[in-house]
Amino acid sequence: MEPLDIDLDSAELDIPAEPALLNVGPAHPAMHGTVRIVMELSGETILKADVQVGYLHRGFEKMCERGTWSQVFPYVDRCNYVSPMLNNVAFALACEKMLGVQVPVRCQHYRVILGELARMSDHLTCTGAMAMELGAFTPFLWLIKAREMIWDLMEEETGARLTHSFGRVGGMAKPPTSGFKEHALAVKSQVLEVVAEAEKLLLGNRIFLDRLDNVGVVSAEDAVSLGWTGPCLRASGVAYDVRKAAPYMTYGQYDFEVPVGTRGDCYDRFVIRLEEVRQSARIIEQAVQQMPDEGPIDIDDPRIVLPPKDEVYTTIEGTIQHFKIVMEGLKIPAGEVYSYTEGGNGELGFYLVSDGSGTPYRVRIRPPCFLVTAGLEKVITGEMMSDVVPCFGSLNMIGGECDR
Amino acid sequence: MTFGTLFVLSLIKAFAVVVGLSLNIAGVLTWVDRRQGAILQDRVGPERAVVWIPRRIAQGAVLGPAVLAAVGALALFFFKDAEGAARTTRAVGFSHLAIFVTWFTALLIAGRVRVRGVKSSFDAFIASVGDPRHIFYFGLGAHLLVLGLLAALAGTPAGETARDFLYGAGPFVFAFSALFGAAYAAQRFQHERAGFRLIGMLHPAADGLKTIFKEDFIPPGGDRFLHKIAPFISFFPVLVLLGVVPIGDTLCFGSDEQGRIAFTKLLETVPRDGICPTSVLGTGAPVHAVRLQVLDLNVGILFFFAMAGTGVVGAALAGWASNNKYSLLGGLRAAGQMVSYEVTLGLTLIGALMIYGTVRIDEMVRWQAENAWGIFVQPVAFVLFFAAAIAETKRIPFDLPEGESELVAGYFTEYSGMKFAMFFFSEYVAIVTLAGLTTAVFLGGWHLPFLHRDGIHMAIGDTVIFSQPLTHLTVVLLGVLGFVGKTVALCVLQLFIRWTLPRFRYDQLMKLGWRKLLPAALVNVLVTGLVVLAIQSASVEVQRFMGVLGQLTHLVVAVAGLVGLVLFVRFLLSRAEHQRVLASTSAQFAAAAGGTQTSRMGA
Repeated sequence: MEPLDIDLDSAELDIPAEPALLNVGPAHPAMHGTVRIVMELSGETILKADVQVGYLHRGFEKMCERGTWSQVFPYVDRCNYVSPMLNNVAFALACEKMLGVQVPVRCQHYRVILGELARMSDHLTCTGAMAMELGAFTPFLWLIKAREMIWDLMEEETGARLTHSFGRVGGMAKPPTSGFKEHALAVKSQVLEVVAEAEKLLLGNRIFLDRLDNVGVVSAEDAVSLGWTGPCLRASGVAYDVRKAAPYMTYGQYDFEVPVGTRGDCYDRFVIRLEEVRQSARIIEQAVQQMPDEGPIDIDDPRIVLPPKDEVYTTIEGTIQHFKIVMEGLKIPAGEVYSYTEGGNGELGFYLVSDGSGTPYRVRIRPPCFLVTAGLEKVITGEMMSDVVPCFGSLNMIGGECDR
Repeated sequence: MTFGTLFVLSLIKAFAVVVGLSLNIAGVLTWVDRRQGAILQDRVGPERAVVWIPRRIAQGAVLGPAVLAAVGALALFFFKDAEGAARTTRAVGFSHLAIFVTWFTALLIAGRVRVRGVKSSFDAFIASVGDPRHIFYFGLGAHLLVLGLLAALAGTPAGETARDFLYGAGPFVFAFSALFGAAYAAQRFQHERAGFRLIGMLHPAADGLKTIFKEDFIPPGGDRFLHKIAPFISFFPVLVLLGVVPIGDTLCFGSDEQGRIAFTKLLETVPRDGICPTSVLGTGAPVHAVRLQVLDLNVGILFFFAMAGTGVVGAALAGWASNNKYSLLGGLRAAGQMVSYEVTLGLTLIGALMIYGTVRIDEMVRWQAENAWGIFVQPVAFVLFFAAAIAETKRIPFDLPEGESELVAGYFTEYSGMKFAMFFFSEYVAIVTLAGLTTAVFLGGWHLPFLHRDGIHMAIGDTVIFSQPLTHLTVVLLGVLGFVGKTVALCVLQLFIRWTLPRFRYDQLMKLGWRKLLPAALVNVLVTGLVVLAIQSASVEVQRFMGVLGQLTHLVVAVAGLVGLVLFVRFLLSRAEHQRVLASTSAQFAAAAGGTQTSRMGA
């Protein structure tokens, strides 16, 4: 349904009325605890909105400059904490681009599978939370149940459910476990089942559709000029996906589609995320098939990769190598690089500057969320107070990534 | 009836309705709400709340009633003999009671053995039955056997013998089973304290109790007086609403020598036609009718709307007095929503009023009993009324006044402690109340298909299918049970809706109310009027045919009810074991160490 007429001039009213100023957040259930919106309301219609971010700013980029390159991984984990594996891989790729190396094929497939699972968990969380904020509590818990399955797999592989810190420059912290492939396929099919179930409950529901249809519309031009990427941009009809536009790792080998919306409203953003879960499942299926069972995970370069632990404790070469990498950090040649991958919410870029020492000179993260959140003001102005919920939910602002 | 009698009687009825129906069901609903959500959402529900009781007291609580019941049954057998019809009644009653207690005790023990393992030779015997469902089937078979035997042998000497046998054996088997079960339970309390869980039903009770001790916060700048009375204004109307809803058929009492009502002299039977006979058969003493509704008002349903309209004030006041913009928005939304939907609520009933020709709810129920249930004569009105009723309760999908993701908690954002609990509870009581009213107006109230004032009489047109006279008390009790059952079913339906749907936006809600439900209600009134006119002017044959159609609807309800009952029992008997997948290593380690209790969560 279309929103109420908003051209109601206050001068037309008999009693003098001025817009009410309402402060929403940062401690507000719909603001995810990290955003503040100061609204001017006429009745329930938002005349003006001032979106303020930064309540979760922790200075990650500056903190990255005080450790070694490997010590950045825990920070990027905490950027997009719903899909940390994608951030891990993205940062590792940026460092490898500077070093001019490429990890073995087995590791590339491994990274793809873990990354796509993380993307699934990102989209499941976003769509589930959006439905929950609209009052549909049941699908939220169903989708979170599916996310739990993914996190179980992550725990099995990395030892941590949320902040894995599993990426390494030149490989991964550990090789895949023996049952990894079966586990990934099993999780994939169970997630698809849950998604189909939740979709049936939500998208067959008139109330839910009315809440999303033609709400928070953003045209393709606006989306591009705002710098949007990811599902939000694709919902507006621009088929830009880094995995297709500039394939990295083994993404060029897989057969998958980029879903694109037509209207750019909340409904498009909602269904595109669910469709991307299905596409991720396709990628996982192919990657599992193509991933070799044997072979190295890490590149064979003692200047970049830590030696095996038994060598560290038994040989002097291993000990020294270990000491150098841990204490001084791996040496990345001086220079700068911008490396970008498709994160959960769009183009996740890393602009790195190295001065040749073992410590990053500058780590600049280009978070998709920051730019998407910048468009929130445009999206909600003129809509109703209640529409903030689906709009903000469908943009999927992740505080850690937006504020860093 | 004197004023004093009337006053005391009204007090008793009000207490029964408020405490027995509204508050009780509302409390249980709170639990059901969470439990049902847990089932739908594959999560652990509120079943772990526990009250610790010292062992001796727990044992006493188990043994005491059992001993009393057993002694009572045996004393009745030894010291108070019954003859004739009373003997048959006692034989049948006690034998069924004995069978029920026996299989139910065995079932409980079997369940416990399954969970806690075999600990004695008796446990081993119970466990050897295998599936506990077998015990239930066995019990059901025994019930049917006794019923069938007595029915088949009725009137013969063998029937006399069987009755005498049951008359003697019933109390002894009952006493043994009750004592054995209680003793088994009592000796199972091994520790110094026993946990009293009651499948988590204590959880809402504990929550409610807790709120009494919470800080009572009034925001600075808020209107202290209005802030205090708002919860009461919200809570009071929903409590008194059920006053005009009859929960059962009229009870007929005889009178004492002075012609006053005698509560011990409940009539044995009443004739099928009319409410109560004018005088007791044989003696000619006057008969006193006691309606099972608190307020015997001739405005009936109008009182309901008057009171329901008052509920708006509470929410609006709460929003205003809180000095909080979220509260204010919530209060405004609540006021707008409830006023709008009250219009629909009232208009949908106009059609029903036209057909029933009365505003008294007990007369509406009588009309439905004679003709057909309201849901058949006013199907559109039923749907509209139910939708508007949910809107009146301010629950999902109409919970915009609360709208926790937009307005934090809406009009009760600034409420805490017991005042918050009163808002919370008024919501649940409103569910019960509106379900009760919907039942009375559209689902035949206390009426059950083919249950007449004098017993079960199944007939379509002039064809009598089945007939079984019952006593007056039985008929009324069955009616009350029917009313409560229908009300509970409607409540559960509302909870299902609550866990399934998202919420509206405010303008969509208003559009739905004014542009869809209201016109539909008006059209319904128009169509109803035309149909009523057409039927009134129709020939006798057509009216006769309509009467048969009405009886057919009763048949449909009876069949649907039976099928529903069978399906429900099948659902209860179906296996409810969840598969548990331990995917991650740490979960497997924890399970191997016996660390985590078996989770009910499916994976």
